[in-house]
Parts: sequence; structure tokens; C-alpha cells
Amino acid sequence: MLCRADKELKLVDGAATDFANKVLAPNREEYDQYPFGQFWDGVVKKAFDLGFFHLTLPAELEGMGHGLAGLSVVLKSICAQDASLGGMLFTNAMAQEILLAAKAEKLLEEKIVKQEDVYKFLLAFPAFNNPSEVRHVATVTKSKGKRLLSGDVQYVVLGGLSAYALLPASVEGSKDFSFFLVDLASKKVSLSEPIFSLGLHACPAVDITLDKAPAVLVGEEGAGKKYFDRVADRMAVAQAAMATGIMEGCFAEALAYAREREQGGQKIVNWSEVRMMLANIAIQAKSAEMMLSRACEAVDQKQPKWEAAARVAAIQACAYACEATTDGIQVLGGVGYMKDHGQEKRFRDAKQIQALMGIAPMKKLRHIRSILEKR
Amino acid sequence: MKYKPCTPDHAQCAPNLNDVAASLAFAHQTPAALIRETREVVDLARKFNREVVRPYALELDRKLHEDPDFLPWEFVKKANEWGFYTMWLPRLFGGKGYFMHSMSAFIEEVSSACLSMGNLIGVHYLGMATLAATWNAPLLLKIFRDVAAGEKAGDPRIISLAITEPGAGTDVEEPDLIDKGNITCHAQKVDGGYVVNGTKVFISNGHVSKWHVVIAYSDLDLPSQNTVCLLVQTGQKGFSFGRHEKKMGQRACPASELVFKDCFVPDSMVAMDSEQIKGLKKDAKDTFQQVLDYVLGATRAGVAAFGTGVARGAYEEALAFANETEVEGKLLANHEWAQCMLAEMYKNVCIARLGYVETNHHNASSGIYKSMLAKPAFYFIRYAPEFLVQKVFPKLLGTDATTRALRKANFDNQTEEEMNRTSGWGSMAKFSGTDLGMKNCHMALELMGQAGLRHDQRVEKHFRDAKLLQIYEGTNQLNRLNLFKCLVSGACPQSCVFHDS
Repeated sequence: MLCRADKELKLVDGAATDFANKVLAPNREEYDQYPFGQFWDGVVKKAFDLGFFHLTLPAELEGMGHGLAGLSVVLKSICAQDASLGGMLFTNAMAQEILLAAKAEKLLEEKIVKQEDVYKFLLAFPAFNNPSEVRHVATVTKSKGKRLLSGDVQYVVLGGLSAYALLPASVEGSKDFSFFLVDLASKKVSLSEPIFSLGLHACPAVDITLDKAPAVLVGEEGAGKKYFDRVADRMAVAQAAMATGIMEGCFAEALAYAREREQGGQKIVNWSEVRMMLANIAIQAKSAEMMLSRACEAVDQKQPKWEAAARVAAIQACAYACEATTDGIQVLGGVGYMKDHGQEKRFRDAKQIQALMGIAPMKKLRHIRSILEKR
Repeated sequence: MKYKPCTPDHAQCAPNLNDVAASLAFAHQTPAALIRETREVVDLARKFNREVVRPYALELDRKLHEDPDFLPWEFVKKANEWGFYTMWLPRLFGGKGYFMHSMSAFIEEVSSACLSMGNLIGVHYLGMATLAATWNAPLLLKIFRDVAAGEKAGDPRIISLAITEPGAGTDVEEPDLIDKGNITCHAQKVDGGYVVNGTKVFISNGHVSKWHVVIAYSDLDLPSQNTVCLLVQTGQKGFSFGRHEKKMGQRACPASELVFKDCFVPDSMVAMDSEQIKGLKKDAKDTFQQVLDYVLGATRAGVAAFGTGVARGAYEEALAFANETEVEGKLLANHEWAQCMLAEMYKNVCIARLGYVETNHHNASSGIYKSMLAKPAFYFIRYAPEFLVQKVFPKLLGTDATTRALRKANFDNQTEEEMNRTSGWGSMAKFSGTDLGMKNCHMALELMGQAGLRHDQRVEKHFRDAKLLQIYEGTNQLNRLNLFKCLVSGACPQSCVFHDS
């Protein structure tokens, strides 16, 4: 449905679905063991070769130019099987979008887009925080015309992998913040061990400590909030896509199990309370898909009030995904709680995804605030 | 099929006060010493949390992620040192003689810091309660005294309960379903005992238990009438551990596979079978249903206490975060919406707690604690002179006549109304307490955003741990149906439960 009649997007969707089913699903448990197991380097490189990290970049920046609809199609299919890769795609795309919003195409061209090594191409970014809400920002000072960052920035996703990070920082005492591109190989930058998190284990994050680390200003000074808010509204569609994909994977696994497992002398799919749980998951997944489809259309066509469509889709799809994955384990009973099935990972990942770009209730307040300000 | 028209009889549907307000009806009967001992165990649990649980919980969880086969012996030994495996064991068995009634409050405390560690202690009493509910006096004496000896020797000898099978989870917890289920754990009667073959799965604490209360069936075509409850010891010939399940949460509490291959269990280790209970008013199926109801009425209150504990743990972490974090330049605890979320979470903890407290009143008035919590019995058991406890009682308990008398008193005298009340309330406490535990974990993570995702912030562990509570001791769906059967179906005379097709 998301693909509409766009043949190119259908091809992208086909490639993503094939990749998710053949590469991600069979080894889901193994990949999820990170940081206590091996990092899925080969998978990330394959995803890079397939262009999944180039989806939203415009063609003039050597991207695929598929916009958010293209990213959403891929995220939905990928997250149905393993949302950790979705987290990597999301983080990288969000950082790219902020650079584009700040009209920093030149910076992207110089430092990022021509890179042939995936880890030099990927951008690290603190994707789970809205710096206007909780101020995890570094402090910026100027010295001999150069900008230097100091302090801690927490939970920088892809920070342990990427060559560059896009980090928020502000001048001491200022309420505004700006974004800076920081070379993570600098001796003035130190990285923590990978953070052990609730979900998206193979999409690692680190805490970053900066000690007068050289940094390049992205866009205008003090305009970080403007860029973040604008991009957050666009990326809400991608967040909704991730939640929708998780629900679709959850429903498929719950249904397959219910058709096989017997209880009380019959398949459990024939017990009406189990059917009710399956119905709830199916309704939530379908509702999310319809909202997502509408939001993609609104955002890509820049329709009036596209921001509202995107925000509502993300808030509601994430809430549905948290409920659906809770029931998704329940349909499988004890088996669903074990790591050799996909449901427990979807349950953790759905909750983690709900926290992308800030605190969940604050997103609702931001939505009503935007309505109130317009009237 | 045609149903009779049914006009609602509001008088019939109106709740019985004893059913819905046990605290009002029975709280005045609670011995004052029981209230004192509840305060005492809560204080002890808080000390244990400060000294052992909180400093070690995250490290142990992390260790289990690094090495999924790691077994938490260090913690089990520590709990044994602190005396928690005999705390609620009657004095005549060598225990400290605290009453099970007070255990829920203890479990809530420990679980508020770490649900896995709460399970490593609490699940031992699931095994113990099941064995106790068979009222097999000589076997109780043998096993419980061994647990007490293990404490003195610094060698934990804890008890697990093995019911769930690979093809049957809900079915084995419900005698109305079991005959249609895919039951495979067979206990074949032979001279001098039983030979057990089959597999049990998801057995909490299996790998760290010495004793396993195993529910098997002497006739797989009619398991409801042929249930056998036997005691198997770790290391016994024909018994071995299979896989150590890789769970999402509660990692420190092992979920084990128990494998039986021609495992001979002598008659002396058979806690109950259909032969032993001939002569009681009820048949074998109904008597085993009664054993299950006795046990689950109490242990589901325990699971509700786990749920209350995790609800509290999530609430307390969210509260600490709200007290130290600025959101949009204002302390989170000063945002009205956050105040309402915290109030809601506080309410969820209180409601969950009321569920287990109320259920324990029902268990005291109508269930497994009834014979022990009548004031004269309570004070006699609690304060009986040591020579009686050590010399006289064990001799009495060592006889089959005592077993017969105990079974007669406990199985024949409990009314159907009492069974429904305790079983129905056990289910209600279980599913409401665990749903509220899960709810608070969701809310805490929503409130904390990025911070809550980190393992070192504890909430994500609560979230992973809590989910299992909605599944074990009967899924919450099964418990809703059991509540309907016990407390609602009387007002639906044409209804039948577990016949959905």
C-alpha cells in the first residue's frame, strides 16, 4: 500500500523484504547478542551496498532520492524481521536530514557522501534525545577562529562505529543550541564502551566525552532547535514505519504459532480469546499502516498540515506497537518470552523506538502546542 | 443449541460480602503477632536489598547476558545464609516458623529491587507449598528437614515445582483441559514405586534446586484421574537437566528443562497419587484440582506480590528521574502531566498490593492457611515449647495416620464456596497485579525517554523481567477464565468454561 503505483519503490520494497527474510531473520538471535557477541559487520556492509543508507539523500549528493516514502518502505520491511538495522538506518538518515535542513550540502559532499567505506559514510547522532527537552548538549567555545566542544553527550547512536558524529552544543549560558560535525578519531574525543540497552542491541550507542574537540558548525549558529524540530516532524514518518514493521512481524509470528500450537485438544487459534488477541494485533498493525501511508503522502507532497499527519502517525503507531508486541508474546506464552523466537525482541525494540527523538508524552504536548499556536 | 431466556436476577448477581471484602470480614481475626512479623520481614528485606540485591542485581543480569549458562549460586548461597529458604518453614520442620501470609510483603520488597532475585527466593516456596498441599506428613518432614539442614550446612537445598510440559502449558494447570491436552510425562506404576519418563520445561530454579516436585501421570489417556505427585532429587539416576532457557528477562532465575529417562521413584517419595487419596469425599480429579487450588490461591498471590514489587521498582526509578531531571528547563516533577503519571503509577502499586493482601485474607479464612491461622493454632505453632517441636511432633508426623487425618481435615472440610473464593481471588490478584506491574514499566520508560533505555538505569530490566509475570502460573488469560469460572459463572447459569469452539 505504501508503494502506491511507484514501480521504483516497489523494487526497493522487494529488495528490502528479501534482505530482511534471507539475511536478517535467520540469524536474529545471534545478531542481537551484541555487545556480548560479534557485531554484524557483514550485514551492515551488505545493507550499505544495497543503498539502504542512501535512500533519502538526493541524487545530486549521490543518493537514491527516494524521500521519506522510500525510507519508510524499507524500514517497515526491515523492522518486521530485525529493527536493529532499522535503528541504524533511522539514525543515519536523521543526521543527513539535519545537514540538509541546515543547507550543509557542501559539508556532506566533502566529508560523507563519497565515502566507500560504510563506517566513514555513517553519521553518528544522539537519536533518542530532543536537546530542547533534556539538555544533553556539549559546550562550545571559540579559539583562534575554531570551534571547540567540551563536555558529555550521552547515548550517541552509531558513535562507536562512525567516523563523524553530528552533536548538539551550546555556548555557556545560552538557551539555544547548534549542531556540529565532530571527527570521532580526534584525540580530544573519548568514547565509552557500547551501552547495554533495552532493545536494538545491534544498533549500538556510546557516551561521548569531548575535551576541546575541534568541530565544524552545521548551518546557522543557534538554529539547532529549528533544524531538529523540522527534521523530527519529517522523521516521525520513519519512526511510524519502524513501529508498523514490528507489528507486522509480530502478527505474522503470532498467527503462525496459533495455527500450530494445540491446547485443550484444538489449535489455539480456535479459542476465541486467542482470536481476540490476534484481532487486536491485526487491527493495530493495519491502523498504523493506514496512518503511515497517509503521512508519507502528506510529507512527500508537502501537503498542508503534513507535520500533524506525521506526528500523529508516529505517536499512535508506537503506542500500538508497544501494546501489540506485549500481546504478541502472550499468544506464544512461555515460548514467546524466549530468545529463540522473534517476539521478545520486537517487544523490546518497540519500546525503544517509542523513545526516538525524545520523551513520548512530550511529543503529544508538542503536537497540541502546534495546534494551539496556529489558532 | 437453544438457550433458556434468562432474566437478570440482580439479587443473585449482587456480590457476597465475604467474596468481595475479605479484609472487612476477616481482618479482625488476624493475629497481632502476624502483623508484627510482617513488619519484621519487610525490614529484613530492605536490609537485604541494601546489602545484597541492589549492589549485585545489574552485575548478575549482565553476567547472564555474557554467559547464558551461568548459574546464580553465589546469590542462592547468600539467600541461604540469610535464612530465607527456611523463613516460612514451620518450626517443627526446622524452619523459622514465619507464616506464609507475611511472605508476600517480603517478596514485594525484594522484587522492587530485582525480580529475578525475588524469584530465586519465592519460587522455592511454590515447590514447598505444593508439597505441603499434599499433606503427606512423613515426606514433608523428610524434605523440609533436609532444607533446614542445608541452611545450617551452608549448602542450599531448595525445591522446584515441575508441571509445564513441551506440549502443554495451560492444559496442565487446569484439570478441565488436561484430558484433551498433549500430555507426555508418564509415571508407570511398578513394584515399590513409579518409573518416570518424559520432559518438563520452563521450570523456574530447576538447575539450582536439589528437590523437584514433579507432576506426572500414570495414564496419559486420562491424566485428570491419574495424577501423581513425586519428589525427585538432583543427581538421581534417570534424571538430568536439559537446556537452560535463554529468557528475555528474569535472567538470573534459571528456567530449566528436566529430563526423565526410566527414572525410578520409590513409593516413599510419592507425595500423592490416586491410590493414596481413596476414601476422601472427592474423586482423584477433584482432589488434585483442590491441591492445585490450595497452592495457586496462595502462590498466585505471591505472583501478584512480584507484580506489585516490579510496579514499585519502576515507579521508584521514574520518581528519582523526575526529581533530578529538567525537561524544557523545568524540573520534570513540576510538570503537571508528569505529576499525574507518577500519581497513576503510585495508584497502580497500591491497587496491585490490595489484590494480594485481600487474597491472603481469603487464604486465611477459606484456603491453605485456614487451619494454621486460627488464633489458637497460630500461637500454639508459633510458641510451642521446643521439646514438643523437636521430639513429639516429628513422631506424630512420621505416621501414615497423621497424613490421613490431615487430608481428611483439609480436603473434606473445604466447601466449594471456599474453593471458588480462594481460587478466584488468587487469579484476580495475579492478573491484575502483573498487568499493573507491566503497565508501570511501560509508563516509567515513557517518562524517562532515553535515560530509561540504559541497563544501568534499572527500568529496562524491570520491563523485561515483568513480562514473564503475565505468562507463568497460568497465563493472565487463563486466570481471567478461572476468575469467571469461580466468581462470575454462578450468575451465568447456562455458561460453561473451557468449551470454546
